[in-house]
Amino acid sequence: MWKICKLMALFIVATVCHWGFATLFSYVGLSVNFMLVFAMAFCAVARLEIGYPVAFMCGLFLDFFGSKLFGNNAFSFTWVACVVYALRERIDFASILPQVVTVFFLTCAVGVVNSLLLMRFTSSSFWPGTVSLLGGAVVGALLAPIVFAVVRFVWVDLSADEHL
Amino acid sequence: MVSSRRRTTRKIYTGSRRRFLFPVSFLLLSFLLMILPLEGVVSSVKAVLSYVFIPQVRLAHGGVKYAQGVHQTVQELLNAHQENRRLKQQIEMDHLLTAQAETVFKENERLTEMLDLAPVSPWQGIWAKVAYREPSQWNTVIIDKGSADGVEERSAVLSVEQGQEGLAGVVVEVTENTSKVLLVRDEDFTAAVTLEKGQEEGLLIGGGTNAVRIKYIPLQAQVSKGDKVFTSSTSSIFPAGILVGKVRAVREDSSFQTAQTIEVDPLVRSAAVKELFVILKQEEQTPYVEDL
Repeated sequence: MWKICKLMALFIVATVCHWGFATLFSYVGLSVNFMLVFAMAFCAVARLEIGYPVAFMCGLFLDFFGSKLFGNNAFSFTWVACVVYALRERIDFASILPQVVTVFFLTCAVGVVNSLLLMRFTSSSFWPGTVSLLGGAVVGALLAPIVFAVVRFVWVDLSADEHL
Repeated sequence: MVSSRRRTTRKIYTGSRRRFLFPVSFLLLSFLLMILPLEGVVSSVKAVLSYVFIPQVRLAHGGVKYAQGVHQTVQELLNAHQENRRLKQQIEMDHLLTAQAETVFKENERLTEMLDLAPVSPWQGIWAKVAYREPSQWNTVIIDKGSADGVEERSAVLSVEQGQEGLAGVVVEVTENTSKVLLVRDEDFTAAVTLEKGQEEGLLIGGGTNAVRIKYIPLQAQVSKGDKVFTSSTSSIFPAGILVGKVRAVREDSSFQTAQTIEVDPLVRSAAVKELFVILKQEEQTPYVEDL
């Protein structure tokens, strides 16, 4: 029950941050995907039985606010979770550099995959622009250490205290 | 010994099966969501979610406004004295202009009546703030006004840029407290427009990531770079005479074409939109409508 409450709180905070950052940075021409950073941070610390559904739900949540194609974000977030779980066995996500590098490259990859999916399923292109995508990925990567630390603290450290 | 080895083998087998089953099942599910026709279900869930997440959208928007506001407030405080003096002068000028405008307005009313012309109704509407943008799709924004404020689907939306009001888009979805606006650049956007010179009419089509175009302009029309483009009086959605943008280029015609295609730079840039003015239908005005 406590875990569900924590998950709900994290999710709500993430959605607020997502809207905030998406709006704030769109004024300066950058496409920041905070929910993606949150999903990666969550998958880096949670078991795959919880991580995959959460990543999928984060993507689905964004899909509900999209207007063109439904399911593309859910798809992207799921394979991002897949990559994070594969990397987790080889990389220590507790240090900052892997977090930053992973978030940067996966955000760029998600931008490309989303554009390709939109092109394939809606016969239209929604390329947010190279500068916007790379800039958004840089902002996401800079936010990553904070997001990873907060998610780790709430999901792992608080639970550890609970078991003491 | 044997049984513990069996248990370990079973654990490894179950773990690798999970590792494979979870991503595959979710990828498959999301793929099905993309290919299945779910418009009805998705719209219903969207409506419910938009109600549920209104507080969060407002909170995020408030946070952004506050973050921007700190820098602006300091800047404004530094410039307050100069601005105050300038504004006082401007108010005096505005008083003069209002007096002149009233005279002209009355004269116009009198002439309209004498010539038996249909009077042009003034735009009335409501200001709204951009509450949400999708990170990868900037040609659609969600504003913080909805049906409770009198906003309806197919309402024209304006914005002020470079000190001039221009066409920003059209409302495509309305919930009680929010509305979705399709901006001029969106490839689903269309509007009947006229050119400043010659008054030729054409159909403006948003280009997505490509240029915004006007189609069906007669070949003989003289169009040059920088000509202004306005909404046409034949449009059923947009009031006539709203500035849309300026002509960027005229495409070279091929020998088989019967009309010109013109590329337009919209006045209102999708990325710069912050506040929008939604034109309300005249008969359904709310008590707190504002004049632009």
